[in-house]
Amino acid sequence: MSSTIETLKEHTTGEYKYGFMTAVDEETTPPGLDEEVIRRISARKEEPEWLTEWRLSAYRRWLSMEEPDWQKVTYPPIDYQAISYFAAPRQKERPKSLDDIDPEIRRTYEKLGIPIREQEILAGVAVDYVFDSVSVATTFKNKLAELGIIFCSISEAVRDHPDLVRKYLGSVVPPGDNFFAALNSAVFSDGSFVYVPKGVRCPMELSTYFRINAAGTGQFERTLIIADEGSYVSYLEGCTAPMRDENQLHAAVVELIALDDAEIKYSTVQNWYPGDKEGKGGIYNFVTKRGICRGRRSKISWTQVETGSAITWKYPSCILQGEDSVGEFYSVALTNNFQQADTGTKMIHIGRRTRSRIVAKGIAAGRSDSTYRGLVRIMPGATGARNHTQCDSLLIGDRCGAHTVPYIEVKNRSAKVEHEATTSKISEDQLFYCRSRGFSEEDAVALVVNGFCREVMEELPMEFAVEARKLLGISLEGSVG
Amino acid sequence: MLRIEGLRVAVEGKRILDGVDLEIAAGETHAVMGPNGSGKSTLAHVLAGREGYEVEDGRITFMGEDLLAMEPEERAAAGLFLAMQYPVEIPGVSNMYFLRQAINAVRKARGEPEIAAGAFMKMLREKAKLVGVPEELLRRDLNTDFSGGEKKRNEILQLAMLEPRLAILDETDSGLDIDALKAVAGAVNGLRTPERAFLVITHYQRLLEYIVPDRVHVMVRGRIRRSGGRELALELEQRGYEQFAAEAA
Amino acid sequence: MAAARRMIEPAPFYGELFARERARLPGHGRSELERVREEAFARFVALGLPTQKAEVWKYSPIARFANREMVVAEAAVPRLEDVSAWFGGGPATRRLIFANGHLVPALSHVGGLPEGVRVTGLVRAIEEWPEKVAEALAGCDPECSFTQLNTALARSGAWIEIADGVRLDEPLQLLFVHEGGESAAMTHPRILLRLGRGARLHLIETHAGTGDGHCFVNLVCQMALAPEAELTLDRLELGAAGTTLLSRTLVELAAGARIRQTAVALGGGFLRNETEVRLGGRGGEAILNGLCMPRGEEHADTLVRIHHEAEDCHSDQFFKGVVEDRARAVFAGKIIVHRGAQKTNAYQANDNLLLSDRAEVDSKPELEIYADDVKCSHGATCGDLDEGALFYLRARGLPREVAASLLVYAFANEVIERMADERLRALTRRAVLDRVPGGAALEAEGLL
Repeated sequence: MSSTIETLKEHTTGEYKYGFMTAVDEETTPPGLDEEVIRRISARKEEPEWLTEWRLSAYRRWLSMEEPDWQKVTYPPIDYQAISYFAAPRQKERPKSLDDIDPEIRRTYEKLGIPIREQEILAGVAVDYVFDSVSVATTFKNKLAELGIIFCSISEAVRDHPDLVRKYLGSVVPPGDNFFAALNSAVFSDGSFVYVPKGVRCPMELSTYFRINAAGTGQFERTLIIADEGSYVSYLEGCTAPMRDENQLHAAVVELIALDDAEIKYSTVQNWYPGDKEGKGGIYNFVTKRGICRGRRSKISWTQVETGSAITWKYPSCILQGEDSVGEFYSVALTNNFQQADTGTKMIHIGRRTRSRIVAKGIAAGRSDSTYRGLVRIMPGATGARNHTQCDSLLIGDRCGAHTVPYIEVKNRSAKVEHEATTSKISEDQLFYCRSRGFSEEDAVALVVNGFCREVMEELPMEFAVEARKLLGISLEGSVG
Repeated sequence: MLRIEGLRVAVEGKRILDGVDLEIAAGETHAVMGPNGSGKSTLAHVLAGREGYEVEDGRITFMGEDLLAMEPEERAAAGLFLAMQYPVEIPGVSNMYFLRQAINAVRKARGEPEIAAGAFMKMLREKAKLVGVPEELLRRDLNTDFSGGEKKRNEILQLAMLEPRLAILDETDSGLDIDALKAVAGAVNGLRTPERAFLVITHYQRLLEYIVPDRVHVMVRGRIRRSGGRELALELEQRGYEQFAAEAA
Repeated sequence: MAAARRMIEPAPFYGELFARERARLPGHGRSELERVREEAFARFVALGLPTQKAEVWKYSPIARFANREMVVAEAAVPRLEDVSAWFGGGPATRRLIFANGHLVPALSHVGGLPEGVRVTGLVRAIEEWPEKVAEALAGCDPECSFTQLNTALARSGAWIEIADGVRLDEPLQLLFVHEGGESAAMTHPRILLRLGRGARLHLIETHAGTGDGHCFVNLVCQMALAPEAELTLDRLELGAAGTTLLSRTLVELAAGARIRQTAVALGGGFLRNETEVRLGGRGGEAILNGLCMPRGEEHADTLVRIHHEAEDCHSDQFFKGVVEDRARAVFAGKIIVHRGAQKTNAYQANDNLLLSDRAEVDSKPELEIYADDVKCSHGATCGDLDEGALFYLRARGLPREVAASLLVYAFANEVIERMADERLRALTRRAVLDRVPGGAALEAEGLL
C-alpha cells in the first residue's frame, strides 16, 4: 500500500513524462493521400500485389464514406490531406540483431522505461517496438519460434507467412467496416502479428509498444492475432507520444481470432499525449478493435486503461459465434482537463450459450467528457445466452460530464441480459477518511479512484497493473482544489 | 407411502445421487442428514419435480403412483409438499390470493369443489394463528421483503393449508435463530398426524431436537450410508460426518 | 450530409391536405392563429419525417406509417354504451369524450366546476381567447416534426386551467375513441394544461381503438405546472390492430411541482409514447411509471427524457415490457442532468419479459450528466419468466400455464398498482388478463 502511494506521489509531481522527442533521421512521405501515396507505401514495404490492390480497394471505399458523427465528442474537421501517412527512422536495412539498433531509438525506449533487451525486468515479456510507422525490433522471437509461435511485425508476416495473413486480414474488421477502419486498411504501416499454434500455451506475455515520434504524421498500425485450437496468449499494448501543440491522428485496427477452446487476453494501457491543460494538442485515438470467438468454448477478454489522448473513439468488441464462447470487456477510462472519451464495447451473441461480461469504469475530472457506449445484441440463435453489464461513473468537479449510452437488443427468449449503471460524485466521506489518516488530498483522490477501478485493474497482467495505477495518479493531477 | 429405489441423478453430466433407497410410511417422520454437497437438497428437488435434474436410473413411487412421470403440479395435487430452503419472492401477487389459488388448483385436480371465500378465510385465520403468521403478512406480496423467519413460517402455513400426505422440509432451519427455529418446529409438530409423513432434510441435528424423527438417514456423496433411530443424529453431532466420508471413500 | 438521411421529405399529400383543411380549422381567419399554423407547417416540411437513422427513431420505422396517404378523420358520434366501458373515476367524474379526435359534447360533461377551474374543448377555447391559445402553441417543441404537424392541424382537444391554490379532488377524464377507417384517418388532438401555484389535478387519459381499419393519432399534451402544483396522470391505451398512436407529453415543472404519471399501453399496431419533463425549479419531482405488453405484430415504443435543470430535484422511472409472438417493445429513457443541477437524485429501471423467440426487446437507458453532486443510476433487464418462481408455483399445485400467466400478471401489476384511480386499475388488470392464456380463470377466482 505505502509503496503505491509513494509511486503516486512521485508521479503526481510531474506532468506527461513521455512528452520528449527523439532526434532521429526519419524518412517521411509528404503530406497528402491519393492512390500514388498508397502504392508508394506498399512498394516501400515490398508488398505482394494482392495487398497493394487490397489497400487501393479500401481507399476507394473510404472516399465514398462519411466520418462518423454519432459519438459524443467534438473536434474541428480533420484535413486528411495535411497528414503524412508514412514516417520511419532511416536505416539501410532492418537490423540483424538487437545490438544493431540505432542508439537514439534505443535510448528513447530506455527513457520510456522499456529498454530493448531480452533480460532483467522484462524477462517475462516479449516486445515488438513500433516507432512511428515501422517495427524497429522484436525480442524473444527465436525463443517463441521454438514453440511454433509466430510473433513479428505485420510487415514481416506479410513476407514470411503470406497465407495466414491473407486468410485472416480483414476477416474480423472488413476494410469497409467504418470510416477509420477503411482509412487504416488503405495506409496501415506496421503493427504486430501473432499466431499461436494448436494446443500451445504462450509462456510469456507478448507486447507491442507504440511510439509516435515524428511531427505532422498519423499512425495507422494494424494488429492481427490468431489463437489456434486450444491455445492461449496474453497480449499487451502500450503507447506514448511527444507533447505537441497540434493534434495527431492515430487510427489503428486490431483483429483477434480465437478458434475452438482458444483464449486471447488483450490488455491496453493507452497513454497517448492528452494535450495540455488548456486542451491544446494531443492525439486523436480513433481505433477499431474487434475479436471473433469463432470456435466453441473460445474466449476473448479485453482489458483497457485509457488515460491518454485528446479524444478517444474506441469500442473493443467480441463476436461470440462459437457455442459456449465467452467475451469480456474490462475498462477504465479516465479523462481530465479537456479530454473527451467515447468508448465502450459491443458483444454480439450468435452462438448458443454464449456469455459476456462488461465492467466499465469512467472517471471524469476537469472540463472533460466521458461516455460509455455499449451494445449487447442477442441474435435469435443465441439460446441460453447471458450478459451482465456494470457501468459506473465517477465525477470529480462540476465542470465535467459523464454519460452512459447502452444499447440492449434481445431476440431470443431464453437469453438473460442485465445492465446496471451508476453515476456519482467522488465520495466526500471516503476522501475525508483518507485525509484524516494522513493522506494529502491528491493522494486521497488517487487512492479512492484506484479503489473504484479495482475490479478492472485486477484483470491486468502484473507488470501493467503497477504502471496503470501510476498513470491514474498522474492523469488526475490538478483535478482537485 | 413413498418408496425410492436405486435413484441415480445427475446435474449437467455430474452424478449427484448415486443409488438412493428410502421408504417412508404414513405417520412417520424421517430425517436425512448430510454435509454440504452430499445431495440431500437434490433429493428434495427431484421429489418435487424441479427441472434440470437427469434421473439416470431408479424408481420413485408415491401413494402407489410413479412419481417421476408426474408434473410438479400433479405431485402437489397428489399430496406432496416441499417447503423450500429459499422460498421465491413474487411481488405483485398477494400471499392470501396465492394460497387460495393453490388450494383451489389442488382441489380441482382432485375433483373436489373449490373452497368458498368465507370458508377459506376462516381456515386461513385458524391456520395462521396455529403457525404464528400475523394477519399483516397475509396481505403482503408473496414472500416479498419477508424476513428469513417469516418466509419459513409462511412455508409452514402453506403446508398447513394444503394438507399434504408427505411434507418435505428442505433445510427449514437454515438462517433461523433459536427462537424462530422453536416456533417453526412447534408449528410442524402441531401438523403431525397418523396419516401424514414428514421428510426433514437438514445439515445440523439441532432441528431434530424439536422435530423428533422416527428414523435418521445419513447421506454422504449421493448415497444413504447409514440409517438408524434418533440416536444416530446425536452420534453425528459428536463425531461429525468425517467417519462416514471415510467409509464412503 | 449524414444528417440528411435522418429525415425524409413528407409526402406531397401533406401540402394539399394543409391547403385544404386550414379553412376548416377553428379560429380560421384570425391572423395570430393563421401565422402560428403556417409557421408550424413550414417547420414540419423543413424538418421532414424521421427515418431510423435518426437516433430517437432507431428501432421504430415511423415514416412507413406517417408517409402513406391519409385523410383527416371526420367526426363520429358514438353511443354512451359504446364508451362507458372505458370510464374511469367515480360517478361524479367529469369527462371530455372525443371520437376520432372530435369532441362529442352530447357525451361529455364538465359541469359544476369550482371557481378557478376551466375545462373546455379546444374549439371553445379558441373562440373565447384565441390569442392565449396562439401564444401557447407558438414556438412549442420546435425540433419535433410531429408536434409541428399537430400545431398546424389541431382542430380539437382540451384547455384545462386551474388557478392558484385550487384543488380538484374528483378526477377528470379525457376519453378518446379512435375508429379505424378504410383509408387511414389522421387526428391531431392538442391538450393544453396549466396548473397554478399549489393547484392539484388528477387526470385520467384513456385511448380506445375500435374497428378494423387504420387510424393515425398524433396527440400532443402541453403541461405547465407552477410552483408546488401537483398533477397525477393515469393513462391507459387500448388500441386496435390498425391503431397508430403517437403521444407526446411535454411537462414543465416549476419549483416544488410534482408529476406522477402511470401509463399502460395494452394494444395498438404501432404505439409511440413520448414524455419529456423539464424540472426547471428547485425541489421538483417527476415519477413516471409505464407498462407495455405488445403481442401479435404490435410495436410499442416508449421514449422518456427527463431534464434536471435545477438543483435538488428527484426523478424516478419505472418501465416494464412484456413481449409475445412477433411483437417488439422499445424503451429509450434518458436522464439529463444539466450543469449546476446539483443534488439531483434520479433513477431509471426498464425490465422486460421476452416470451417468444420471434419477439424482440430493445432497451436504451441513458444517462447524460454534467453535474457532480448527483446520485443517478439505472438498470435494465431482459429475460424469460424466472424458472425458480415457475417451479415454486407449480410445486404448490398450479398448472404450468396458469403459473406462467400469474407471473406475467404479477410482473405487470407492479406498474398497474401505481395508477391512482381504482376503476382504471381494475379496467387495466382486466385488459392484462385478457391478454394472457388462462387469464379469465385467474380473474374469475378473484384476482382483481
